[in-house]
Amino acid sequence: MSTYDTSHIRNFSIVAHIDHGKSTISDRILELTHTVDERDMESQLLDTMDIERERGITIKSNAVRVAYDADDGETYQFNLIDTPGHVDFTYEVSRSLAACEGAVLVVDATQGVEAQTVSNALLAMDANLDIVPAINKIDLPSAEPERVRAEIEETLAVPGEDAVCVSGKTGEGIHDLLESIVFLVSPPEGDAEAPLKALILDSYFDAYRGVVATVRVFDGIIKPGDTLYMMQADSSFLVDDVGVKRPMETPLPQLGVGEVGYVVTGLKDPAAVRVGDTLTYDERRCPEPLPGYREAKPMVFTGIFPIDNKEYENLRDALEKLRVNDPSLTWSPETSVALGFGFRVGFLGLLHMEVVKERLEREFDLDLIATSPSVDYHVYTTSGEMLEVKSPQDLPRPERIARIEEPFLKASVIVPPAYMGAVIQLVIEHRGIQDNMVYLSENSVEITFHIPLAELILDFFDQLKSRTKGYASLDYEFDDYRPSELVKLDILLAGEEVDALSFIVHKDKAYPLARGLCDKLKEIIPRQQFEVPIQGAIGNKIIARSTVKAVRKDVLAKCYGGDISRKRKLLEKQKEGKRRMKSIGSVEVPQEAFLAVLKVDDE
Amino acid sequence: MDGSSWGQGSAWMARLHDASAHALYLHVPFCVRKCAYCDFASRATQANDPLMAAYVGALRQQMREAHELGLLDGIQTAYVGGGTPTLVGASLLASLVGDVRELAPGVAELSCEANPDSLGDEVLQTLVRSGATRVSIGVQSLNDAELQALGRVHDARTACERVRAAVASGLDVSCDLMCATPCQDDASWQSTLAQVAGLAVGHASVYPLQLEEGTPLGERWADEGPAWNDPEVQARRMEAAAAVLGDSGYVRYEVASYAREGKVCRHNQAYWTGRPYLGLGVAASSMLTREGYQRLRRACVQLPVIDDDVSRVRLTVASGAQDIAREPALEALRFDIELLDEAQAAAEDLMLGMRLSAGVGPELLGHARSTLGEARVDGAIASCVERDLAAWDGERLEPTHDGWLLGNELYGTLWDLAPGEVREASA
Repeated sequence: MSTYDTSHIRNFSIVAHIDHGKSTISDRILELTHTVDERDMESQLLDTMDIERERGITIKSNAVRVAYDADDGETYQFNLIDTPGHVDFTYEVSRSLAACEGAVLVVDATQGVEAQTVSNALLAMDANLDIVPAINKIDLPSAEPERVRAEIEETLAVPGEDAVCVSGKTGEGIHDLLESIVFLVSPPEGDAEAPLKALILDSYFDAYRGVVATVRVFDGIIKPGDTLYMMQADSSFLVDDVGVKRPMETPLPQLGVGEVGYVVTGLKDPAAVRVGDTLTYDERRCPEPLPGYREAKPMVFTGIFPIDNKEYENLRDALEKLRVNDPSLTWSPETSVALGFGFRVGFLGLLHMEVVKERLEREFDLDLIATSPSVDYHVYTTSGEMLEVKSPQDLPRPERIARIEEPFLKASVIVPPAYMGAVIQLVIEHRGIQDNMVYLSENSVEITFHIPLAELILDFFDQLKSRTKGYASLDYEFDDYRPSELVKLDILLAGEEVDALSFIVHKDKAYPLARGLCDKLKEIIPRQQFEVPIQGAIGNKIIARSTVKAVRKDVLAKCYGGDISRKRKLLEKQKEGKRRMKSIGSVEVPQEAFLAVLKVDDE
Repeated sequence: MDGSSWGQGSAWMARLHDASAHALYLHVPFCVRKCAYCDFASRATQANDPLMAAYVGALRQQMREAHELGLLDGIQTAYVGGGTPTLVGASLLASLVGDVRELAPGVAELSCEANPDSLGDEVLQTLVRSGATRVSIGVQSLNDAELQALGRVHDARTACERVRAAVASGLDVSCDLMCATPCQDDASWQSTLAQVAGLAVGHASVYPLQLEEGTPLGERWADEGPAWNDPEVQARRMEAAAAVLGDSGYVRYEVASYAREGKVCRHNQAYWTGRPYLGLGVAASSMLTREGYQRLRRACVQLPVIDDDVSRVRLTVASGAQDIAREPALEALRFDIELLDEAQAAAEDLMLGMRLSAGVGPELLGHARSTLGEARVDGAIASCVERDLAAWDGERLEPTHDGWLLGNELYGTLWDLAPGEVREASA
């Protein structure tokens, strides 16, 4: 055992339900430890992505080192690992927690314990972390710190007396919080002489330096010039540089036991470094890799197509670049008659999908069209096979299907008792099955239920927020696959199936959906030379229909000497309009039609 | 390519090299008031506006110049259009028509456009005396409510009375009629058609009202797509016109034109059959062959030299009425110019030819096949036939019923054969 002193290192994350003020507390810590000058203080400093700042949420975790001069006269090295706060990103939270010994659990003093407070506390306990509860927003008039303190003790079984009252806004109590971290969070343990064992928490691609990995060292020391081996990737690289973020990158001579920092790998292939992989010395390898992470399983799938098909290659490059620091992103090529070439992309959840789509459009300047989101269905065929179907296009003909199972979630909603009825109603409408109902306190009830993921990704969350006036909080996790009466709804234009407009839906919902789509399409599809029937069909059975009437007359009757140029230009304009149409069989459909229909589905 | 195609193609080629124009158009841009649907080059003015005399004088001077250039040598038809040419009054009209007769002695058909309200007996007599053969009257409707909604000056009674007078004068008479207009219904349209047929005119032109930007009707209605102008209504009215006029002995020879035997408008036919034409006056268009353009350039030094591959030039006068009156010389005119190569001209001729009930014959088809490529031309034709827009009648390709109504589909397919973009210039 080396004499390497880790007693002054504290590695911790801050976890919270969304909007409980996690990022503001991080900012205050940076300020109070003089890591950042007050005048340089940009609100939510750790949230570096544009989208994060705009939406006020943290999506990617970030690790920052601060030096804290504690009341005992000692200086401590705090490694603050920020975590995302949205339910989609549980995976990122667990990644961050694997690098820590402690977690600050932030609870809003006005809202109390909410659904994700519970799930985050459980994650932290599972990871054996020391928990420092913090009751935030005590500056607000409606703050009830004592009620919340009791809730923390009752619902989370975390000692309420440990809870520190803070205000991320005014900075009140932050000093006490830092002191609690010193006392409650254990210092890391490890062996500096042992073969290197370090976890890759995150990575990003830098055009000049190649892949830069954020790592947590458990055993050993990393120095520039070391040749390191990535156990999962089975490849090596030479360390160009190491350092920490404060929050600007600061090079250091080495990263030692228990420390969190970055390693410049010089690797030019973004895919070469895998988050969750274990780093060790190339020459002297550790016998066992670290446990790594629970693998992030994409839950929601959607087809993403460039509006201009020439952008296909650019879209693929952009996805590859995003995957460097978002290993949960998966995709495979998908071809649609209606939309051309694109990808079926898997996401952790709806927010993840929105964020990725927005990043693709914003950071890579792509115009995209996304099909209606789908989930991973398990389809058992009559011949006894099980097929994983992520796209309606891949569903076999009805006569080949023995049964379909769909992913169900175990979900919980915490809500004031007045909205209980509204929530239960919503759950029933979305094919949910209620499990249990527990009063957490006089003012909050936890309703637990099972619900198909496919229902949740449609509009459940928006509906929940609007029907409970924003009071409800939701958390969910994957539970199991259950059989459901699902059907594939196809839309046919003049008898031709439109692949981009197929949906896998519950049979009871197929009829209203089909009617809605047929009516909408009737409005959008321009009149053709012939009558175009629009049909909604399940297999061979037509369940809804509308008709685009044939255009009867389209001619500029007057055409003398002076009209000829104008007439010709009109014909050219008409042709240009047609170029932007997609041919579905003999029907010309403007791309806007797909956009409009797919959008309707979001509403 | 077989020998007969070449032979037939070169027969068509002859008109592509006429150095003279075949038809002469003179534009008189004056009206008592502007109608609610009209986006033509015209201006509202008083009957005594001194600009009119100066303008007519300028047109006469330009005709003389064109005559000297040899551009009028082959003129067979002339058309004085507007605006309302009859508004300039008997003596100015007589001088203009008289000059056409003098400078283009080959003219066999000389039409003048007129509105019922300015077609007095004196004007009619003047037209007959000075050598006009035909008058085209802007009747539009024989229903007062419809006429009022269109912003027309006349009423139905005046229109009938003036049409009768015109017929009595011995001139060939044509009536312009408009359908799918505000206040019109199927019955009122039937009634207008029947009355016009009953007036014993030789010719009628029928147009659905087109809502144009910048016109009062367009501004009021274009966004709404009003029911009275719905394509379905337009189709029904066009069909009614074909039926009623057909029953009364009129033959539809173009998408919007109906004539009794021998009363076809030869001037308008020139536009659809690739014949060169010369247009003088505000916004008037000329279509000249390469040879014709070279003749015009001898006077118009402002016109650009054209590339070797240009075979057809379309020029539209960009000067206003006052500019023309002030500086009548051809060399003072401003033009918007389009330059078509032989292939583009062939595609244009196909597009225009299919407006005629006679469609396009072996001469043009042979020429088009040799310039645009046999496979492409036949492919486009096959696509039109397959969509039931056109059909073969012996060696001629003719529009079908759908081809009449969905002309833009048919013409668009044929114009698509034109390679590249039409070059544009201005001078």
